[in-house]
Amino acid sequence: MNVIETKDLTKTYKRFKKKEGLRGSLEGLWKREYEEKTAVSHMDLEIAKGEFVGLIGPNGAGKTTLIKMLTGIIAPTSGSIDVLGFYPNDLKNKFKEQYAVVMGQKSQLFFELTVNDTLRLFKEIYGISEQVYQKNKEFYTELFDVKGLMDVQVRTLSLGERMKMELIVALLHNPQILFLDEPTIGLDAIAAKQMRRFLKEVNEEKGTTILLTSHYMEDIKSLCERSIVINHGAKIYDGNTQELFHKYQRNKKLTVSFEKPVDDFEMPEGAVILEESPMKKVFRINLETVNATMHDIMRYEPIDITIEEDEIGTVVERIYQEGSVKHA
Amino acid sequence: MRKYREIIRIYLKAQLAWRADALFNMLFVLAKIMFAYLLWGIIYDNRSEVAGFTFQGMLSYYLLSAFLSQIEMSKCISEEMTARIRNGTFSKYMVVPVNVQGYFMAMEMGKILFYIGFDVIAVLIWKCLFRIQFTFTKSIMVALCAVIIILLGMIFMAQLNYYLGILTLKYQEIGTFLMIKNNLAALVTGSLVPLALFPDAVLKIMKFLPFYYVVYLPSMLLSGKCEGEAVSGIVTLIIWCVIMEAVLSITWKCYSKKYEGVGI
Repeated sequence: MNVIETKDLTKTYKRFKKKEGLRGSLEGLWKREYEEKTAVSHMDLEIAKGEFVGLIGPNGAGKTTLIKMLTGIIAPTSGSIDVLGFYPNDLKNKFKEQYAVVMGQKSQLFFELTVNDTLRLFKEIYGISEQVYQKNKEFYTELFDVKGLMDVQVRTLSLGERMKMELIVALLHNPQILFLDEPTIGLDAIAAKQMRRFLKEVNEEKGTTILLTSHYMEDIKSLCERSIVINHGAKIYDGNTQELFHKYQRNKKLTVSFEKPVDDFEMPEGAVILEESPMKKVFRINLETVNATMHDIMRYEPIDITIEEDEIGTVVERIYQEGSVKHA
Repeated sequence: MRKYREIIRIYLKAQLAWRADALFNMLFVLAKIMFAYLLWGIIYDNRSEVAGFTFQGMLSYYLLSAFLSQIEMSKCISEEMTARIRNGTFSKYMVVPVNVQGYFMAMEMGKILFYIGFDVIAVLIWKCLFRIQFTFTKSIMVALCAVIIILLGMIFMAQLNYYLGILTLKYQEIGTFLMIKNNLAALVTGSLVPLALFPDAVLKIMKFLPFYYVVYLPSMLLSGKCEGEAVSGIVTLIIWCVIMEAVLSITWKCYSKKYEGVGI
């Protein structure tokens, strides 16, 4: 059963085009030029109940605009949209009771109060019975390991702790769909890993449908079985996440540091040099040659090696260039 | 109603976190009455009555109007909405199952409940310090009407400020307009000077507008003046509230579609 369905969904913004300089600003007072920007273009989407779907794309691809339309925050310019049987922008309370949205940089918490205060407010707003409220609060505070922080003023919490609290507030009313927009942004590696573990558990234990946007490959790889890649507002890939990365994430970036200057360093065959100095070499190599390269490098006795995967932008670019649009 | 009661409670609790703000609010009321005392002291130096007010009557009016204008905190609605719409965080009110207007009105109520105690203290300090003899109405009905008018006036001002907040959806920046509105409102509601000082023709026109009933009329009624206007005041304000609600409904329907949540 699909909980989200869109057909030809399009959102076009009209934005003021200001000319440069003071003169341009003065001219803008009486004569304004506008340009149209299509943030989401003819998007067809179907998401079934219980799915954990990743929404990938570079900055300005249209991910957040899509989330905003699905949650009713903004109205689409054209096309049809159905979320849990509702037209989201009607902003019906019955609809809003069935989903939750967490935006990494926006908060539902009251910074001068405790998390318990905000939870109590949301209990009343969503009309949650005392029994369900206590049960869910218990479940999530244990899952997120934040029992000792419930009576602390929110503004004194760390970013990682605050994000956990945002999730508890969002999940308190057992939403059918959870929209997550960059939930791990700004978190350190440990906090981001914890967050991923919690989200996986929520999806499995509660059967919550989750739509996640993230810049981090790791978020998508470890959580989402299905990925949707969008670029310039259009869907360019919709399918299995493993397949996506297997097919399009072909390189690794290696950064090798040495204690002493190395002048006789031989670059591996096929490597693309990104940065080179006697103490540090940065290069990109094919995924399949990583093991052999690592073995070779060890003879220079490096003090540090970091391996990074292709960034989302690179993957998107590759899909785009190869024009291979896959639909689930 | 439980959700709005909880919103009132949470904003009341949020205010309690900031003690200095409460103290400054109280000091502002004290300074306002102090200023009125000095100014009217000079004016009454060589006369015993101005526009039907004795010096004591004028101070009574100032105590009451300062108290009412201080607890009329609806400008926090338009300011909060404008700031949130401009920085893209207004969506936090759109994604939860509450009536947005109801949420903002409950928010104002929470803030009022907090400040009301401090404002009463400020007024009492001045009453004792300057030995001001309050001249209260002797009619319970008039006092009751004044209370109803105060509530209706606050509802109207909340509606007006919510309407101005919605205008941000279309005009993006209305900061200057809000500043002008705040200053004009202080003048036309009678917070700065009693409206009785205005020419008769102006006063007649103002009686058709809602602002006359927000601070001025209830202050006059409570101090035993203009008692004949009590019922017509209630009727006029009810009409204005109904009109405003209709305008709000239409404006929200038109402009909520314009929200782009920029900044998210």
